[in-house]
Parts: sequence; C-alpha cells; structure tokens
Amino acid sequence: MSLGTSVDSAETLVGETSTTREYASGGLVVLSFLAFAVGLLGLFQYLPVDTSVAGLPVATLLGGSLTLVGAGTVALGVGSYTGALDSEPSHTGGLVSAGFLGLIWFVVGGLVGAQTLGLSTAWPVVALLTGLAGTGVALLAREDLGVTVSAGSFVLLSGVVVLSGLVGPGWSWDPESFSIVLTGLVGVPVIALFAGLVGAWTAARVYGGFGAQGRQTGAYVLVGTNAAGMLALLAAVVGFIVVRGFAPMTEGIRYGLFWGPVTWFNPPLLDSWVIVEGPIVWFYWPFVMEGYGLNTPIDGILPAIVGTVWLVVGAVAFAVPLGVGAAVFLTEYAEQGRFTFLVEISTNGLWSTPSIVYGLFGLAFLVPRLGNTPSLLSGQLVLGFMLLPLVVITSRESLKSVPDEYRDASAALGVSRWETIKSVVLPAAMPGVVTGVILGVGRIAGETAPILLVTTSSPFPSEVTNVIQGGFRFTGSFPFVAVPTVDLVQTSSALPYQLFAVIGAGLGENLDFAWGTALVLLLVVLCLYAVGIASRLYFRRKLNA
Amino acid sequence: MSESTQTRDDAQHGDEQTTTPATSDPSAYEDASAGTTAGETDEQLREEWTQYAFEGEPKLSVEDLDVFYGDDHAIQSVSMDIPRNSVTALIGPSGCGKSTFLRSLNRMNDRIKSARVEGSVELDGQEIYQDGVDLVELRKRVGMVFQAPNPFPKSIRDNVSYGPRKHGEIRTGLVPRLLGRDDSGAEDDLVERSLRQAALYDEVKDRLDDNALGLSGGQQQRLCIARCLAVDPEVILMDEPASALDPIATSKIEDLIEDLAEDYTVVVVTHNMQQAARISDQTAVFLTGGELVEYDDTDKIFENPESQRVEDYITGKFG
Repeated sequence: MSLGTSVDSAETLVGETSTTREYASGGLVVLSFLAFAVGLLGLFQYLPVDTSVAGLPVATLLGGSLTLVGAGTVALGVGSYTGALDSEPSHTGGLVSAGFLGLIWFVVGGLVGAQTLGLSTAWPVVALLTGLAGTGVALLAREDLGVTVSAGSFVLLSGVVVLSGLVGPGWSWDPESFSIVLTGLVGVPVIALFAGLVGAWTAARVYGGFGAQGRQTGAYVLVGTNAAGMLALLAAVVGFIVVRGFAPMTEGIRYGLFWGPVTWFNPPLLDSWVIVEGPIVWFYWPFVMEGYGLNTPIDGILPAIVGTVWLVVGAVAFAVPLGVGAAVFLTEYAEQGRFTFLVEISTNGLWSTPSIVYGLFGLAFLVPRLGNTPSLLSGQLVLGFMLLPLVVITSRESLKSVPDEYRDASAALGVSRWETIKSVVLPAAMPGVVTGVILGVGRIAGETAPILLVTTSSPFPSEVTNVIQGGFRFTGSFPFVAVPTVDLVQTSSALPYQLFAVIGAGLGENLDFAWGTALVLLLVVLCLYAVGIASRLYFRRKLNA
Repeated sequence: MSESTQTRDDAQHGDEQTTTPATSDPSAYEDASAGTTAGETDEQLREEWTQYAFEGEPKLSVEDLDVFYGDDHAIQSVSMDIPRNSVTALIGPSGCGKSTFLRSLNRMNDRIKSARVEGSVELDGQEIYQDGVDLVELRKRVGMVFQAPNPFPKSIRDNVSYGPRKHGEIRTGLVPRLLGRDDSGAEDDLVERSLRQAALYDEVKDRLDDNALGLSGGQQQRLCIARCLAVDPEVILMDEPASALDPIATSKIEDLIEDLAEDYTVVVVTHNMQQAARISDQTAVFLTGGELVEYDDTDKIFENPESQRVEDYITGKFG
C-alpha cells in the first residue's frame, strides 16, 4: 500500500507491505464511505431507506455497517492499546479532535436527554456530562484508545439506534417548538452521513497507525470524503433538475434528412432558373424554437431565451468597459488613500445590495426616462449596474496582482504609463478580469426581481422581441444602403422571470413547463460560462504559452 | 509627460528594495540602522578620496546628490563623475544606498512616492533634474537592468522589440501592413542584433516565438539586457544583474558586461567584490549611511585603498 507506514521505524525504513491493522481498518474506511454514499443517495430519494436491497431494507444495512464500523474501530483501538497490533500512538488524541468529539457527544447527550429521557430543562446537564466524557476520553487516554473509544462508540451507538429500529423508516419526530416533522426517510440518511464521516475519519487514523501519520491519513480521508460529498450534492441538485426537466424540454423534437433544393438562381441572359439540390438537415425543437401561443403544437420559450441573451449581452457590454476602466484608474492612477478606500467600501456595498433595490431604482428612475415603458434597455442598464461593482472589484484585484516588476521594466525602457497599462498590465490581468465577469454573468442571468419591474409586460409572449429590424441591404436611392434599426425600448420576457411566472400561475402539481424552463436556463448559463472559460483559457495561454 | 506627479503607491515596494535589504546577519542590519555596520570603525571622510581624474568629458556627472525616503536620508551629498565607455562598479554593504544612487541616474526614483531627490545629475552636460525633462527620452538613453530577471509574459521576440515598438520606431501588425509600412524585416534584424549583443541569439534563435518565461534565469537576464539594448541606450544601469544567477550564468553576464563597455557606459551595482574587481574599470565604494567613501581605479581601490573603512570592507572585516 502506498500509504504504508513504517511499522517499526527504528529498524526498517520501508514498512512491511501491509499488516492486519491496515487490512481491517482499510475495510472499515471503505464501509464507512459506503454508508456515507448510501446516506447521500437516501437523502435525495434516489435510494430511499425503506426500499430493500438484496432482501434487506436499506436502513438495516446502514445500521449494520455502522455497528460493524463502530465496534471494529473500538476493537482495533483496544488491540493497539494492548499491543496486539503494531502502531505508533501519541500520548493524547489531540485538542482539536477531542473538542470535536466532545461537541458530537454534547449533541448526542442533549438529544437523548431532551427527547428520550424527556427532561424538560435538565437536558443541558446530561449534554454537558456526555460532552465532557467524550472530550475527556479522547484527551486523557492514550491516542489509540481515546480516539477509537470516543469516536467509535458514537458510530456504534448510531448503528445500534438505526439497526434496532429506534430510528427507522417508520420513525417520525415532531420536536416541540419547531413546526417541522422529521421522518425516518430523512433521519436515517442524516445519521448515516454523519456517522459515516466520523467512522471513516477514525478508521483512517487507525489505518495510518495513529501518531502523525495517522492524523495525516485521517485528515486526508475526511477532506476527501467531504469533497466527494460536496460534488455529489452539486450533482444531485443538477440531476434533480435534469431528471424533471429533460422530458418537457425535449418534447416534440423532430428531425430528418432529405433531398431538396439548396439554392437557386437565375443566370443572366438565360430565361430559366438553375436549382441546385442537395441534402438538407431538418430539425425542429418546439420547446426552444417556438413562443407561447395557441398556434404552436407545444408551448415554447424562445422569446424568453432571446430576452435573457439580450439582457446579458447588454449588461456585459455596458458594465465591463466601465468597470475595467474604473479599476485601471483606481489601481494605476489614483492616489491610494481615503478616496480609493471609500470607493472600495462603496463598490463592496453595491455588490451586496439586494437586486430588488436595483429593480426599484430602475422602475423609478430609468423607466420614466426611457420611453416610459418597461424595456430591454432598462433591464440591461439595471443588470449592468448590478454587474459593475463585481467587475470593478475583481479587476482591481487582478490588476494589483500584476507584479510591479513589469511596470518598472517598462518604465525603464522609457515607455509611457498608458502604453505600459495597455500592452503589459492589462494583458497580464485579463484572466482575472474574465473570471470576474463569468461570476457576475452567472448572477445576473438568473436575476428575476429587477426584470419583473423594469423589462417585462407579459410573462408568456408568443413572439420574439425583434431587436434588430431590417437587415443590412442595398437600396436604389441615396445612400444606397440600409442599416438595420436596433430597438431596445420594447418589453421582453426572460427565463428566470418566466420560471417565476409559471410557478406563480397556480398550475398546481404539473410543473413540467417550469422544470423544462429551469433546465434551459441552466443550459443557457452554462453556455455563457463556456464562452467565459474559453476566453479565460485564451488569455492565459497567451501569457504562459 | 512628467512622472513627478507620480501617484501610484509603490513606495513600499521601493523602500523594500532600497532600505531594507536582506542581510544574512540580522544583527548587522540592526546596527546599520543605528548608525554603522558592526565592525565598522569611525573615521572622517576626505574629499580627495572621491576625486577620480580621467581623460575626456564625463558621461554622467553627479553633483551633491541627496535622496530622502520620507525622513530617511538614503544618499548623503554624493558627487562623482562617470567616464564614458567604461564599466563603473558601485559596491558597498547592504542598505548603503548604492541601488538608490543607481536609480536616481535615470530618475526611476520618481516612481517611488516617498522619494525626494536634491542635487544635480548631468547626462552629457544636460541636467536631468530640471523641469521639462522628457522622461521617455531620458530612459531611452539611460537604460536599466534589474536585479531579478523580469521579462514580460510575452514571446522572446516581443520582449526584445517591445521598446522600439512602443516608441513607434517599429510598426508591425494589420494596419501598417495594409498601409504598406510593415517593418517586420527591420524587427527581425533588430531582434537578432540585440540578442547577439546579449550573447543569447544562438540559444534561442529557433524559438523566438516561445514565451520568455520558459527561459532559464540566466537566459531571462540576458534577454532583459537584450531588451534594454534594443532601444539603443547610451548608458546601461545594472542593479546586481547576476545576484540571482548560478556561477555559469554569472560568468556569461560578466563577459557580456565587459563587451558592452566598448560601446556603452555601464554602471553596475554589485554585492560581489570579486565581480567588481574582475569587470570594472573604476569602483565607487558606498558605506553605511549613504556616503560615497572612495572612488578610484578598480586596481587602486582593491590593492591600496586610502580609507581604513574601505580596506576593512574589502578584506571582509564587516559588511
């Protein structure tokens, strides 16, 4: 094993390949991790604890594994203490570990005291006593005994509670003075998650043979399990939306490939048309290619998608040049003092201002001045105002992190400050600036409140807001070209607003349209991210290639 | 374009470079801030120790130069004439103000907010500390190479052509190409010539478009020298150019400095006394408190110094 500790460091530099302790504790780590994973699946109802796997209810399996892990770690600890197993324990489990275990036992004691024993006001006494016992054992006994007994008996207790059905699938808990009811479908997975984490950590410490190596292994497993849990949580949230939104989103997709006229033209001096035929791919996706109306087979959300894209494009076009310019001035030109400090405070404050406040400002100030109607332009400006502080903050940070050596080197070559900023400082800061814009776009693309106030009229438009009207074309009269007109003073829908409207429209249990919209919103934001990440990679490669 | 209204807060950075150098012996530094370096004897400075006679007009002429960082008096009334087409070494213990002195020769101290300069520095008889001095022109004529190699995160070619390009002497890119004024050929010539002068061309000729940060430390420093040479300066200031490099890279830089002295006036700050003895024609010794103690032929300084303190310093009794 790569983690192989030197079992007898006094005599051998390279530890034996593995020992009984490593086999046993390694198995317990895996078992704990499995309990953690099953708990996570159970919590998100992918594998509810009242289902059966291989003839046994999931709850029983969880309880059994936790019991095994708890009993096993205690046994290994005792084995190490009596000298039956090789290890290198410290004389104490460590203050942090002991405090942490004390906290766990405090909670256990509190719950038992208040709920099981029914003590009304005396439960803190029980909690304090168990907490002190948990801390004391871990702190005062030698590490191998203290940590395994304190942590292992907690895992053992959790396992027994679940295994005996004390907290089983049918269990429900209605805590006084809280208006929630906790059922076994939630309670068992939560216990499994927590006890699994503690069990994995303890078993990993045993695996490392206690001491410094044991703490290292324990921390590694704890952090790793934690990271895996975070990723799983993220995947569960996204999966939740994808599972529910995929069917409504893809409803009615048709496609085909057929032979047909690709282009046709009338050659001069020839009184007939030439038609070129070729294969044509035909693709129809009503949910994202249609509006909401009676004459479409399936109601779609194209107007909202277009609206969201216009809003984000407008906000970025407004905020990024202004924000980067302000950051350049503040970092490269302005005297660092009270003024820049004040600007820093106020940009931080603006970034944390609730979006509905921006929306109200837009409604009261922008809308009356921009056509006196809710419009895309007002929405773009309001979202731009929201994006601006983040662009300033992140751009300032990345400009500050550009080494002064670059500026010195450039100045020593007699290059003016503006040229230096343009050709050395800004390119070096670009990846950071783009990161800031990516973060900001993620926020404003999902913003509902300001859009509700300043941009929308109807939540379910059937037509796309026609921002660019008339194409670029040549005309017969002066000036012989016609440029498209851009009309931003029109109402539009947007994906988050539409989502809000669907949910608020009282469609009851059938939220298919909402899930489909949510999935499309997620995909649109991901596409914007992809553009941002690609440009960041481009700028970074230019610096490091 | 005047940088006297310099506002960017790089005071800290500058102070670090010039007033709090890393001494291997902390107690020496503490003593230095109190007055003298440990082991340094007191003695009166004599004017004639810094009178160095040479033929011809001086390239740089410094008269009663004082530099202050806030209340800190970093350079005390230094006067010295630097002859053209030679190597002048500035040596002295850490914190004695030799880097500060060097930076005041092309007004890089203007970039430090708290720095204040009094006195006179003349380049070819023209005062550089007067109103209306064009800092762009000054720094084109008096180039600088820093202690740590600091190439830009650009290609080797772009690093070398950066100065001329920004000064409008070389035009490449889409617009000049469309206007028929593309100087790509001239750029290639300039890059090759500068890299050859810096003894780097043969090592990088096949990868001129690679990022300069991929070069080794010694190569990066020679690239910085090439970048400095590309703007065709008359004086090159070097602030401990080899202190961050290994012995082989150092010897390459030293050879290079000696070659450069045929066409350029080189002023080099160094910690390394053997290096000063090897490469320089004349040596100025700065000692604690920012005073110029002795300035003479390098051989004279190293073999028969007038000042007891200089002798102590050179023989390694302190510093």
